[in-house]
Amino acid sequence: MKLWKRMGAAALAGALALSMAACGGGNAAASGTSTAASSSGAAAATGSNVLNVMTEVEVASLDPQLATDGTSFEVIADFTDGLMQMDADGQPVPAIAESYEVSEDGCTYTFHLRQDANWSNGDPVTANDFVFAWQRAADPATASEYSYMMSDIGQIKNAAEIIAGEKDKSELGVTAVDDKTLQVELTVPVPYFLNLMYFPTFYPVNQAFYEGLAEGTFGTSPDTVLSNGAFILDSYEPAALSFSLVKNPDYYDADKVQLDGLNYQVIKDSQQAFMSYQNGDLDIVKLSGDQVDQVQGDPELSVHGAGYLWYLTLNQAGVPALANQNLRLALTHAIDRTSIVEDVVKDGSLATYTAVPPQFATGPDGSDFSEDQTMFQDVCSDDPAKAAEYLEAAKTELGQDTFTFQLLVEDTTESQNVAAVIKEQVETNLPGVTMEIKVEPKKQRVEDIQEGNYEVCLTRWGPDYADPMTYLNMWITDNNNNYGKWSNPDYDAIIADCTTGQYVSDAAARWQALYDAEKIIMEEAVIVPVYTKADACMIKSGVTGAEFHPVALNRVFKNATKG
Amino acid sequence: MKSYILKRVLISVFTLLAITLVLFCLLQLMPGSPFNDEKLTDDQRIVLNEKYGLDQPVLVQFERYVANLVQGDFGVSYNISKNTPISQLIQTRLPISIQVGGMAVALGAVLGLILGVIAALNHNTWLDSLCTAISVLGVSVPSYVFALALSYTLGFRLKWLPMLYSANTPLLSSVMPSIALSMFTMASIARFTRNEMMEVLGSEYMLLAESKGINGAPLILRHALRNALIPIITVLAPLIVDLMTGSLVVEKIFSIPGVGSLLVTAIQSNDYNVVIALSFIYSAMYIGIMLVVDLLYGVIDPRIRVTGEGGRMGFFARWRLVLFGRKKVAKV
Repeated sequence: MKLWKRMGAAALAGALALSMAACGGGNAAASGTSTAASSSGAAAATGSNVLNVMTEVEVASLDPQLATDGTSFEVIADFTDGLMQMDADGQPVPAIAESYEVSEDGCTYTFHLRQDANWSNGDPVTANDFVFAWQRAADPATASEYSYMMSDIGQIKNAAEIIAGEKDKSELGVTAVDDKTLQVELTVPVPYFLNLMYFPTFYPVNQAFYEGLAEGTFGTSPDTVLSNGAFILDSYEPAALSFSLVKNPDYYDADKVQLDGLNYQVIKDSQQAFMSYQNGDLDIVKLSGDQVDQVQGDPELSVHGAGYLWYLTLNQAGVPALANQNLRLALTHAIDRTSIVEDVVKDGSLATYTAVPPQFATGPDGSDFSEDQTMFQDVCSDDPAKAAEYLEAAKTELGQDTFTFQLLVEDTTESQNVAAVIKEQVETNLPGVTMEIKVEPKKQRVEDIQEGNYEVCLTRWGPDYADPMTYLNMWITDNNNNYGKWSNPDYDAIIADCTTGQYVSDAAARWQALYDAEKIIMEEAVIVPVYTKADACMIKSGVTGAEFHPVALNRVFKNATKG
Repeated sequence: MKSYILKRVLISVFTLLAITLVLFCLLQLMPGSPFNDEKLTDDQRIVLNEKYGLDQPVLVQFERYVANLVQGDFGVSYNISKNTPISQLIQTRLPISIQVGGMAVALGAVLGLILGVIAALNHNTWLDSLCTAISVLGVSVPSYVFALALSYTLGFRLKWLPMLYSANTPLLSSVMPSIALSMFTMASIARFTRNEMMEVLGSEYMLLAESKGINGAPLILRHALRNALIPIITVLAPLIVDLMTGSLVVEKIFSIPGVGSLLVTAIQSNDYNVVIALSFIYSAMYIGIMLVVDLLYGVIDPRIRVTGEGGRMGFFARWRLVLFGRKKVAKV
């Protein structure tokens, strides 16, 4: 036994020595780290005048015609200018196009490109760069997910036929008149056409450069993209979790660009992201709802509209009771939206009482389409008493006293929390109505509502362009996103008049017609709007000029400064 | 022995093919498409499915996939990094995961062995209890909890180590993830080593060795630990694979650009090719590790090397060895 004890002592001593060595190593590491930890934020582009920003997801593509997500769009726009760019209010302002003319019928746009716009390889930006890029977007061989920006939304001549494979891409209604003049033909006037020009699908691609690359390599590294914008891609690889851009010294507007560069860091864990911000490694970080609660009142907290409308879609075709208008109106009135945004979502999201959410579409007079959230208060409000009245009417009409609906939600914390509150509010305010929550992964939820395999679903829609039509178009008969399968010929007629009919060239009349259309949606309670999503961020004091938008480019850093 | 290895390799290849086929079929059952389901119209879906051959029957897709796979082509990513060859994505990420995982295994195995030996040599003392307590903690607390705790203390409070992975300081950035990942390995190995050592220390050949005048470190290291190592290596192999799954979460927390975080994103977004490619690689690694472990027996236990018996040990025999100890399998 003595031997074992000695052995034990020896082993213990050994272990101690080892652990001390480990501690020593730890200290050595620590002294080396203080520099490493503090410099990790400014890893690639050095210097204090570099903005360190966080994103939640990787860049899916740096190819402007293939990208579909907000992060990709944002980064592409960091180094690429379109014909137009967004100003701080989301209005289109000339960028690569110095000026433009619109024909009297509103169907032909002529853009004059600036002489001093160059690609980072020295080539001038030409009209052909746009022709090439737009043809790529429409070409079925490219299989661009956003090709409908060219056809249904942009209404560019022959785009729909090219996408359908009926015409050759060379027939697209876009022509390079000369190197610096681009002409675009539309099938009908599109009131928001200039707003589309800052959407990355419409960004130019240098044809010679593109064709000089090995197939499939465009946009996969700093060497395989060209910049004509404020920054140049400095380090990047596909699906990178960190990458950086530096200021483009040859940018035509370089004088106005204050930053030396941008460092992006992908962080999927919101806790880690916030700690990195507090540590000083990040200048801009996105917060989760719970985190917003912790920092209420902090001057660095900044809330921006994200544009997404969360609403309840009601399956009128599949559930007979939901085809009853009074029952739908009862549901609309039974929900306490204020409590949902203040007590559940908590990130600055807005309670919403309109079918078109606020903060993204401004009209001919410059006002927000949905700024007035009380315009439909007769048919949409948080009013349990009214809800009960509608319910009684529905019960009489349907000859039924109890109703059970399945409420489908996706498996995110926020959606599940919101659904739990909606269930409680509905069951309290509407005696006899029961809601059973069904949770599914997002892909499954979307598939189910598209196939009509649901009863009530909490779903969302984000605007593709800055016009109410991006929402209102959804509820025309047989639209893919008309999940409730609601149909009203009057409604279809107004929308047709606004897209291709009598109102296309009269902005004021069109705007009024859009309100008329929205009114039908609200009066018939086709959907139950709940809230408009906001993004809550922390922005380090001293950082100014970062612009946030709910459409197209969520963040623009071109005019940002870091004090 | 050579024919045995050949047989094992052949079985491995078929296993991999079977895994790939099962995955192919399972992915067909996943809801939605790899594309933006919310926004796409039916027509666009058709165009996209045609472009990527997703409109073909599963078996046709599978056949084509295997044909490409043989040439080292894993296909392209559908949405994580559109149209990027997956081999390119993995090329830069796999070494990072292996580095972090390797550090974790090494750390866990070494610390586990030390803890286990200390516990066994100090059986039923406070040291033994302490080691047991550490083991219980390590086995029961998930790695992401360690990861968050480490990140908060060493990263956020003390600022000793970077909280997020940085390509400029790969080793330093891997310290916290490796420690977090190694806890389970360490705890399992410690528990196992303790039991094995106790058994070996009580055996007759140890008494014989001691009576021949061997003592001190040689006695413990060459005679006791070496004999205890065989079953330990057997558990180490599945633990390495556990590390891979643990890395899925830990990589996400530390923003490590490895394959673990890639797999999570791929599963969530239906990036079929990435899921299949990574599962294929994980399976291949698992099978490879098991093969290496088999061969290692021979190196560690001369008896197996001489008779080749251990090499031919079947699956159940090996697990019996793991579960019930070596006595029943190889008698002196």
